[in-house]
Amino acid sequence: MSAYSLSAISFVLFALAAAGFLTCGNLVRMLMFLELMLNAANIALVALGQSAGSQAYAIMLLAVAAAEAGVGLALIMTLAASFKTLEAENIKELKG
Amino acid sequence: MILTASIYLCAALAALATLLMMFQRDPVKAAMFMLTALLATAGLYLALSAQLLAALQVILYAGAIMTLFTVALMATPQAWRDKPAPGRALKVLGLAAAAVILAELLKVSYILRSVKISPEFSETGTLGVARELFGRFAFQFELLSLVIIASIVGAVALAMKRRPA
Repeated sequence: MSAYSLSAISFVLFALAAAGFLTCGNLVRMLMFLELMLNAANIALVALGQSAGSQAYAIMLLAVAAAEAGVGLALIMTLAASFKTLEAENIKELKG
Repeated sequence: MILTASIYLCAALAALATLLMMFQRDPVKAAMFMLTALLATAGLYLALSAQLLAALQVILYAGAIMTLFTVALMATPQAWRDKPAPGRALKVLGLAAAAVILAELLKVSYILRSVKISPEFSETGTLGVARELFGRFAFQFELLSLVIIASIVGAVALAMKRRPA
């Protein structure tokens, strides 16, 4: 097994998540695909690093993903409360 | 041999779950597919001998973040009523962009083809990871707590603003 196939695994997962992120209009779903993209990056770190250092880095990325999910969902719920929609297409004006 | 097979199996499961998630209309079912993808990733970590990370993946991603998403889906009933905009051209463009990203990434990492990795079972102990976190990466690790505090403050501030004074 070459390092290329290991990296290809994470690249395919990343591209699939990116495709989902770009094609779906729902904000919650977009955040879900964003998490999957971070997850794929984490896989690349662990698969190619194969040392305690890269795993420590992956753990830090996990914490960043958790923080990002919290803030993102709070933002989305605020948007949903003021715009009464979750479709990114329908949210057009920036005025609060 | 068995580790290589399980790596491919878990990766295929994660990719399949992500693909099904894209075509799932029901948001809760989509969340369950995401859960499958995250658990398959935990299996991938186990096959790559990252035991601590596999446990953290199950606890943090599959546990905490998925609960957060499910609660958010319940708290925003708009997610169920909204009709998805039928922008077909936009979807094709998005898929094409993702394909271009994939092709570029594969092309750039082509040089890795000569590097051989034989996955063998090894125990990456918690001690080794902790030594890195509190030794070499101590500053980054402490900065991370600042990020988490900032995100908590941001989330609370956003949630408070929803109530009209």
